[in-house]
Amino acid sequence: MNRTERISGAILSNVMNRCLFILLLLIPACAPWIGSRGNFESPSHHFSVDIPQEWMRLKSDRYLLISRDGPFLQYVLVQERPIARHFRHTKKKLRRGMLPQEAAQVIVDEISCDQAVLDFQVKENTPARVNEYEGFRLVFTHKNRDGLVFKTVYYGFLMEDRFYSARYSAVQRYYFDKDKATFEEVLQSLQLEQQI
Amino acid sequence: MRYAALMLVGCLVAVGCSTTNPSVVKEDRNVKDDEQRLWSRSIKEQKVLDNSGFVYRDPELGRYLNRVVKKLQPPETLETITFRIVVLKDPHLNAFAYPNGVIYIHAGILTRLDNEAQLATLLAHEMAHCTHRHALRAFREFKKTRDRLAMLKIPEPASNHEDLMSLLGSTQSVAVTGYSQDLETEADLTGLEFVLNAGYDLKEAPRLFEHLKRELVEQKAHEPFFFGTHPRLEKRIQNCKDFLRVHCQGREGAVKNTEIFLEKIQALLLENALLDLKAGRFPSAYRGLKRYLGTNPHEPRAYYLLGELCRQRAQANDIARAKEYFRKAILLDPLYPEPHKAVGLIYYKEGEKRLARRSFEYCLSLSPHESDRAYIRGYLEQCDE
Repeated sequence: MNRTERISGAILSNVMNRCLFILLLLIPACAPWIGSRGNFESPSHHFSVDIPQEWMRLKSDRYLLISRDGPFLQYVLVQERPIARHFRHTKKKLRRGMLPQEAAQVIVDEISCDQAVLDFQVKENTPARVNEYEGFRLVFTHKNRDGLVFKTVYYGFLMEDRFYSARYSAVQRYYFDKDKATFEEVLQSLQLEQQI
Repeated sequence: MRYAALMLVGCLVAVGCSTTNPSVVKEDRNVKDDEQRLWSRSIKEQKVLDNSGFVYRDPELGRYLNRVVKKLQPPETLETITFRIVVLKDPHLNAFAYPNGVIYIHAGILTRLDNEAQLATLLAHEMAHCTHRHALRAFREFKKTRDRLAMLKIPEPASNHEDLMSLLGSTQSVAVTGYSQDLETEADLTGLEFVLNAGYDLKEAPRLFEHLKRELVEQKAHEPFFFGTHPRLEKRIQNCKDFLRVHCQGREGAVKNTEIFLEKIQALLLENALLDLKAGRFPSAYRGLKRYLGTNPHEPRAYYLLGELCRQRAQANDIARAKEYFRKAILLDPLYPEPHKAVGLIYYKEGEKRLARRSFEYCLSLSPHESDRAYIRGYLEQCDE
């Protein structure tokens, strides 16, 4: 590395540090994390889950995002959506009456077309039952732009005109195994509208 | 925010793609400090891209593309820029260049072209961004503007939930935006000079833009990078035609190289059709597969993908069409497991359990380690009930 490169590297590093500082200032102000242990009912009243002890919830009326050590290390995300809603990265749609395998394919394609998801690899794609609902289970890995490998378990199922998903994603090394069982507990606690 | 900052730098470093005065930059090309930083940043970005899983690796195609680049390269740039072409597995029509001469072309745009002359027009445009140091000029312009600002505006905090979600990987990645209209016009006209000097048929150049325009209409959205907006594209087509009027009078024997171009992109055509299919871009996938079958009429994989297209799209008569395509694929290669599985799925959903069972069992016998064998075994159990 020559002198110029070292200097430019230092300048870039300085810029990034400033940005990180701004991020730290902004996140507490605008993305409040709430310690809400216990049962959580989605604002749409379509589902509820039990939030484990020591996990924090991001305040949002669109999804449930919880984390213990921070979402860049591990998180659980529970979402529901009308099947007619368009996806962000593909033009595909979920349809009523789709087999779980077909729904899984739509989701795999959606994730694989996301350019922020690098080196995406599906490790497992199997039928799965989420409580009493027939769905699918995906296990996949991907890298972020810094080369960090994340592992994700993703459950999904269709219920009438809505699609429900619950995923656990964490840095593969160390963090993924740490909270896998906790995620399974969250999943077991998932209840849909008619059960609530 | 950290990514936002990186994106900003990325946007300045990598440039989308199109101009006015084709005069060559007279400025001394000795690398200056800010240019060094841009190049350094480019190398880092390229490492990310090269390890992203999005790079399409076909050595023969790579050699061909780099040969075309060499034909276009003006002698004065040989000493300063080493051009390298990388194809990305992305079905959208786009191309972008880093200031250090590394040019990324999406599979989508490459497979839409008709011949080498159109390819040369695309590459020459991107090369002009490098030779005319557009990234550096845009970066300096950005710095000037920034310095004029007394205060840095910080976004309203309320929107940051979305930002957080995007950082977790569920939204778009780095957006490589195009240059200013002036720089794009300069790249267009300079590129056309490169194409002219290399002996390519300039009459093919406007057709490149016509492909882009068609895509723009078909996708009902303006895509970033090479395109620009629809009115800008119209202007670019006009610029191109004006250039042709001046430089193409009485010009004979210009090179198109249609056959060799089509030969080199055959494998990519099929790959891109699969990418289109994954992205749910069914019309593009259909067009690509039909084009592929035009030169490879006995390729079972193409028929299988046509069948998948119809099965996934599931519009009127699509299921009947899908069955027909799967049947063709099986006829061409009875040992190919995928169409057996796909047609089995159709029978299964139609309640034709005997036919479904036969197809699934055949698929598993051909491919016992099929990645979705757990689903197939489940269907077989259901067929027994």
